[in-house]
Amino acid sequence: MEPNSSIPPPVMGAAVAYPPAAGAAYSAGPYAHAHAALGALYPPPPAPGPPSSHQGGAAAAQLQLFWAEQYREIEATTDFKNHNLPLARIKKIMKADEDVRMIAAEAPVVFARACEMFILELTHRGWAHAEENKRRTLQKSDIAAAVARTEVFDFLVDIVPRDEPRDADPAAAAMGAAAPGIPQHPAAADPTTMGYYYVQPQ
Amino acid sequence: MPDSDNDESGGPSNADFSSPREQDRFLPIANVSRIMKKALPANAKISKDGKETVQECVSEFISFITGEASDKCQREKRKTINGDDLLWAMTTLGFEDYVEPLKLYLHKFRELEGDKAAAGSQPPPPPSSTHNGAGVPVGYGMYGAGGGSGMIMMMGQPMYPPAASSGYSQQPPHHQMSMGGKGGAYGHCDGSSSSPSGLRRHDGL
Repeated sequence: MEPNSSIPPPVMGAAVAYPPAAGAAYSAGPYAHAHAALGALYPPPPAPGPPSSHQGGAAAAQLQLFWAEQYREIEATTDFKNHNLPLARIKKIMKADEDVRMIAAEAPVVFARACEMFILELTHRGWAHAEENKRRTLQKSDIAAAVARTEVFDFLVDIVPRDEPRDADPAAAAMGAAAPGIPQHPAAADPTTMGYYYVQPQ
Repeated sequence: MPDSDNDESGGPSNADFSSPREQDRFLPIANVSRIMKKALPANAKISKDGKETVQECVSEFISFITGEASDKCQREKRKTINGDDLLWAMTTLGFEDYVEPLKLYLHKFRELEGDKAAAGSQPPPPPSSTHNGAGVPVGYGMYGAGGGSGMIMMMGQPMYPPAASSGYSQQPPHHQMSMGGKGGAYGHCDGSSSSPSGLRRHDGL
């Protein structure tokens, strides 16, 4: 039951189109505790980056630190019974898809961790938008901005209306966001393709 | 490797899934909110609509990845979605950054908790429904072979040999015999006269 602490974490930036800041990120030194690590993830940016899914400079370094920290946290994990998200609920959401038949016990466990990463990334990117607007409260419009700016979040454009005005939460947009249930459209980023998918009334 | 708790319960445990309640479609907002706070400075606040939006996004994320993994399993004629399928789906759908940490996570889970979790993570026996008399219509042809036979196929897409199923479904609807016999009983248009067993897997006697 020895954890694989001897295995050094791989270069996290190899799979993404970021500048090779891995050395700089790792040379920042060891973390005293998780709070310090989280604090290091959010230094006040001198200037807002361009609205692109491939932000360079400070944003890339922050992401590098984030993934390095994720890897270290997972490496230190020894208890797989207590999760931050309930496995039964994850399984129920998975089974909402009629095509899903059987789910291995490890699948909700993997999702519990993946969803935590997803929430952290989405919240982090949303907070960048809130800071640009000099606000200390994360709002729905910040999440919408993060979705609009990040290509990998294109599947969420129907969940979060993309044309939502800045710093405003009109009731119509809220109702629009609540209208779709959990439609299965892995390739749909275009509203016209929505007409081709059958959404079961549940 | 085969770590399916569904198999241990015997038979198809994917019973008729009851209509999920509104709260069951999302992860608990308290859990989501707690995780969100970890990504924010201490003096940051989160509005209620911000939490609810992330709640919806997470469910969409689960369905997005699950759909891709399920599609892969069907192509490979496998029934169970495992951790590797999810990691493959994340790579395919652009979440490469997540995969390396999750590989380590999955590896450690299989080492430490694999057999124990399979035995202990499913204490309640899954309720199995012996028949789906009403025959809920499922025009869900997004995955698998659904081209052309959507008009006739009222019981969803064929699970196994699509050619054979397509042959059955091409019969005229008013001539379909739902009580067995030579022609087989696939495609129960008349719900009231459907056989209580083997609705979708009825390949004829």
